[in-house]
Amino acid sequence: MASSYPPPFEGTGEVKEGFLCPLCLKDLQSFYQLQEHYEEEHSGDDRHVRGQLKSLVQKAKKAKDKLLKRDGEDKPETGSYESFYYGGVDPYMWEPQELGATRNHMDFFKKHRAARIDHYVIEVNKLIIRLEKVRTLAQTTADNHKLFKSVVAWVSDSDVPFCPDCGNKFNLRNRRHHCRLCGSIMCRKCMEFVPLPLAYKLTSGTREARSVTGSQSQSQSPPTGGGGNVSGMGSRRGSISSLSSVTSMLEEKDDERIRCCLHCMDTLMKRQQKLEEKDHVPDIVKLYERLRLCMDKVDERAPEYIRMAESLNAGETTYNLDTAGGLRMEVQKYYELIDALSKKILTLGMKEEPQPHQKTLQLQRMVRYTATLFVQEKLLGLMSLPTKDKYEDLKEKRKQEQEMRLTQERLVMAQKRRQDSEKNRPAASTNGEAPQAPRAPRMTKAGGWLPSSDTLHTCGELEDPLLQQIDNIQSFLRQAKAAQRHDEVAMLEENLRQLQDEYDQQQTSLAIALSQRLAQEESLQQDELQRLEDREREHRAQSQAPGSQATYTWQGSLNLTDIGSLHGEEEGEEEVTPKAESSPLSMRAFPALTDQDEESPPRLRRLRGDVTPPGGEGQNSSSLNPFEEEDSTPVEDPSNPFFEEIQKEHKEVANGKKEYNPFEQEEGGEEEQGQAEGATGNPFEVKEENNEGNPFKEASGCTPPGASTNPFEGEDEEAMPDVDVIEEELLLQQIDNIRAYIFDAKLNGRLDEVELLSENLRELQRTLQEQKSKTH
Amino acid sequence: MNVTLAVKQYISKMIENSGPGMKVLLMDKETTSIVSVVYTQSEILQKEVYLFERIDSQSRDNMKHLKAICFLRPTKENVENLIQELRRPKYSVYFIYFSNVISKSEIKALAEADEQEVVAEVQEFYGDFIAVNPHLFSLNLSGVARGRSWEPTLLPRTTQGLTSVLLALKKCPMIRYQLSSDMAKRLGESVKQIITKEYELFDFRKTEVPPLLLIMDRSDDAITPLLNQWTYQAMVHELLGLNNNRIDLSRVPGISKELKEVVLSAENDEFYANNLYLNFGEIGTNIKNLMEDFQKKKPKEQQKLESISDMKAFVDNYPQFKKMSGTVSKHVTVVGELSRLVSERHLMEVSEVEQELACQNDHSSASQNVRRLLQNPRVSELDAVRLVMLYALRYERHSSSILPGLMEELNRKGVSERHRRMVTSMVEYGGKRVRGSDLINPQDAVAITKQFFKGLKGVENVYTQHAPLLQETLDQLIKGRLKDSQFPYLGPSSLRDRPQDIIVFVIGGATYEEALAVYNLNRTMPGVRIVLGGTTIHNTKSFLEEVTLTAGAGQAERVQRAGGHPNRR
Repeated sequence: MASSYPPPFEGTGEVKEGFLCPLCLKDLQSFYQLQEHYEEEHSGDDRHVRGQLKSLVQKAKKAKDKLLKRDGEDKPETGSYESFYYGGVDPYMWEPQELGATRNHMDFFKKHRAARIDHYVIEVNKLIIRLEKVRTLAQTTADNHKLFKSVVAWVSDSDVPFCPDCGNKFNLRNRRHHCRLCGSIMCRKCMEFVPLPLAYKLTSGTREARSVTGSQSQSQSPPTGGGGNVSGMGSRRGSISSLSSVTSMLEEKDDERIRCCLHCMDTLMKRQQKLEEKDHVPDIVKLYERLRLCMDKVDERAPEYIRMAESLNAGETTYNLDTAGGLRMEVQKYYELIDALSKKILTLGMKEEPQPHQKTLQLQRMVRYTATLFVQEKLLGLMSLPTKDKYEDLKEKRKQEQEMRLTQERLVMAQKRRQDSEKNRPAASTNGEAPQAPRAPRMTKAGGWLPSSDTLHTCGELEDPLLQQIDNIQSFLRQAKAAQRHDEVAMLEENLRQLQDEYDQQQTSLAIALSQRLAQEESLQQDELQRLEDREREHRAQSQAPGSQATYTWQGSLNLTDIGSLHGEEEGEEEVTPKAESSPLSMRAFPALTDQDEESPPRLRRLRGDVTPPGGEGQNSSSLNPFEEEDSTPVEDPSNPFFEEIQKEHKEVANGKKEYNPFEQEEGGEEEQGQAEGATGNPFEVKEENNEGNPFKEASGCTPPGASTNPFEGEDEEAMPDVDVIEEELLLQQIDNIRAYIFDAKLNGRLDEVELLSENLRELQRTLQEQKSKTH
Repeated sequence: MNVTLAVKQYISKMIENSGPGMKVLLMDKETTSIVSVVYTQSEILQKEVYLFERIDSQSRDNMKHLKAICFLRPTKENVENLIQELRRPKYSVYFIYFSNVISKSEIKALAEADEQEVVAEVQEFYGDFIAVNPHLFSLNLSGVARGRSWEPTLLPRTTQGLTSVLLALKKCPMIRYQLSSDMAKRLGESVKQIITKEYELFDFRKTEVPPLLLIMDRSDDAITPLLNQWTYQAMVHELLGLNNNRIDLSRVPGISKELKEVVLSAENDEFYANNLYLNFGEIGTNIKNLMEDFQKKKPKEQQKLESISDMKAFVDNYPQFKKMSGTVSKHVTVVGELSRLVSERHLMEVSEVEQELACQNDHSSASQNVRRLLQNPRVSELDAVRLVMLYALRYERHSSSILPGLMEELNRKGVSERHRRMVTSMVEYGGKRVRGSDLINPQDAVAITKQFFKGLKGVENVYTQHAPLLQETLDQLIKGRLKDSQFPYLGPSSLRDRPQDIIVFVIGGATYEEALAVYNLNRTMPGVRIVLGGTTIHNTKSFLEEVTLTAGAGQAERVQRAGGHPNRR
């Protein structure tokens, strides 16, 4: 829904510029794209089409060269490089390119791996199944070779004269041993044992699976697996075992473990490792995941907050101060969480006796380092919010600006209507209010236009479709915010801004057009005015105007007051014309002001100063005031304090400036000091010499944990908009910032900076204490 | 055509492919350089890559909670190491990227080792070169020549590097090579062979004007790498040595621990980016400005911050200050060291004579000046040798050559035998007999002066008169005047139009002076993009080593041939 709004305001009557194709006027983003496009689309023209096109192409080529030259001008913001020079392009300015060539081997890889994996999985499964059988056998019966042989066929002794792993010859002392899992033979040295608990663990998965699939296969497999072989080999094996039965009884206490070869053990260990890893999530991963979650949240929330803060600092009412404050706290909390989590990651396993592997520690350090980089980068970009008082001021200021602009527009409108009404109904002017007119200039402008602008505003809103749109979008915005759809909110805000800009522009251009026409009409109407003057004088006796007059009529009367107040018509004419010219000028200045969201008071004042003369004139000539002054003295009253407020504000600004000045001087002095230092020696070397030890350890150890209790809670408690509180909040912010710097400085091992900063921090905290004791 | 960007894109794509989570980057020696030149540690850290490991390192621990991104050259050792790694995987998943073409059999071997199914990706990402600047790459290979022919192992390596540049930039070029160099021809053929073999890879969208690969040989211009340099980047390399955009400052007297090794990268250092191609005088001014700027932002050491506004100003300035202090201290140290070396070694005087030798044609004055400098005890051994070398190259066949006298002078000065022998080697390497182009001819001085005037907007600077031969060659190439008899095309077809995308490759190493010339050509020639590459990037020292290797091996070759063992080398 929202996306349907922007188009009407874009593109219509837009002057095309950029890298246009000279032939088809297609806009291409860069010179090279244009060139490519040109070669693709129009190269045919060059070749095949008859000669007449050739000159066109020549021209196009020249245009291309020109465009190229513009390339340098188009990117002044990249300024540091002289990006253009005689027509070439700085290699740093080469347009972005696509990813270079790549080739994927994964399919081929998978094909070969699959074959291998099948083989491997079968092997492993075979082993596991055998292990399960052997395990039950080992538990139930003593070392019964026959039973084991039923699980897997044993390799015959005579086939293996040497140990296949170490190559030693088998004899009476170096006896053959059979792997219970694969049946192969090895010597004692190359023998491994699977402890029963491990075997139990490894086979637990298969047991479950088997119990589900049914016991049929289980009961069938033993006979088929070993039945035939037992008879074949039993006797031979038996003879040997009887020979060594005495020793074997001493040696082989296999009850608790299962004998197997190196290779089977290896496979089993791999499997076990895999099983363990499947369930085990190391602490660092858990912490890290939370850390990333916080970072993502910050990435999501921080831009939103910055947008809010910017808007609020400009005195706009799009956002609520409290919501923004809440969001700020939320973001701050995330930062603290990030800090805490990364600290935890850093110290993971440090206290454990076998210190973690050096690489693990390195990983932890890097994660911590990244987190601090992140906090530094984002936290320092987090602008502060205006306090409530300040915000009210800002809002007021902005309102004034807007209203001033509105009045400006209204005035022009009113004048236009006056002209119209004058033309159409000269008779209406008979009830002239000339006597009141001279009082008009005494009116303060603030009082003069407040109500009228309000009424006009409401009807204007109904009239203007744009305003309706704006209204709609605002309501959408509220809904979207309620629904927590941040991206939509952002989009809607963008739309809203565009609409508002458009509306402002429209109003301005309307006003300009009107005032221009006005100036022309003014001269034409001089004669008529003269004639009217006489009639007016006659009616002057009855001219006490009824307060409840319709707007229409008083608009008509404006002319009369105008004429009445000015004794010479020519004078009046002269006055009107410059006003007509000047008002659009000031109007133009306004959008600029609001767009910038700049709230530097001196400039504002200057602007207001600019505005006042035409405003005054407008009041003078249009004499809106007489009614208000007569009927509604209270209107003026509230206006006065308001005006005072403005003045107070200015005073405040002036004070603020005074406060700043000494500081600036100090800075100047400091500068000299710094230079003097620079002259005595390289300041960096001194600084860097202090670098020592592990910065991370220090960082984690030194930061006072007590001090890191949430400073924002305090902020929250003292929601009183008081001057002291303002300072407190500022202080708290500063403390926070300084803490970040301290941390950073520690990280970089700049100890003297740390000292300086902690001094500042102490200073700040002391000031904070004083402030608090004062307020309470 | 931006080589830095090309590598950056490859790497960020690799990291992107691996998804979220903690990662480790497994590299070999060469890919470590490739990555570190284009990315800083903090940039990569932000992409969740926390560890950087060498595949051949034994001290790696099991860390199953990490994903491994392997960026490796497709060498035998790497594949073998990787197979071992996959048999006993230390990380949970492996994303494998080879920097060049890898054979099917090796992939098969890897696949069979991957019993635990930990490999998630096997791809070729052609970042097989060091991207020094957007328009400059190096392969970090020295001693590529054995006499007049390739060191056998380095031809394939160079071919790989060069083809990977072509693939990374997606260019399937026409090839021109320097006729006088057999090595250039061999390399051209070798590249062409790869293009034909891997035709699927090189199947890019055709542009109207095909890109051009120009292969040159260092021996055609042995003068450029012998000159002292006065622009920032070139000067740093000449006097301090730039290795993968890093300078080793550990020999600087009184250096602080932190500045022992500093990184000079135009990507992250604005001051460097702005001053890279400025001459020493301009840098002096700029560094002064930088210092002054910095002093303003420097926090007050002793001052107590008394008011809130003081505090605020301090806090506001602190981040800027911090950022600046790193840059300032780095460049102040580097420039300080440069100027110390300049005065210590009388480089101004030396350079003046060098430039005279390279650009003027006045034998008597030149010989006098060289002799005078050789007698100056403060001129270093290296500078003395390079002066004699320049003289030898310049007036090789002059009727009244005083070369024997100069050699005698070197001997008296106590210059080592090794260095003295290098003079002969140099003439052998880059003398008239070898050269295909006229590096030095009577009109040359005029032409160079003209160009020089153009380049410097009419301000004469004795120390930067010299323009490398490469500049002239490229200028002719762009204007379509480069003679086919000197630089023939490989294959039957030739380029009709004015070339647009040009890749120049210098066998035996390019120089930063040439990089500057190419940079300026890029900026001055509309519609032309030139990328310069070399087997390495030379300063005088490394060039002398290269020449020694070449010549020494050349002699050995000859001896062996005489001895009847032609196949041993």
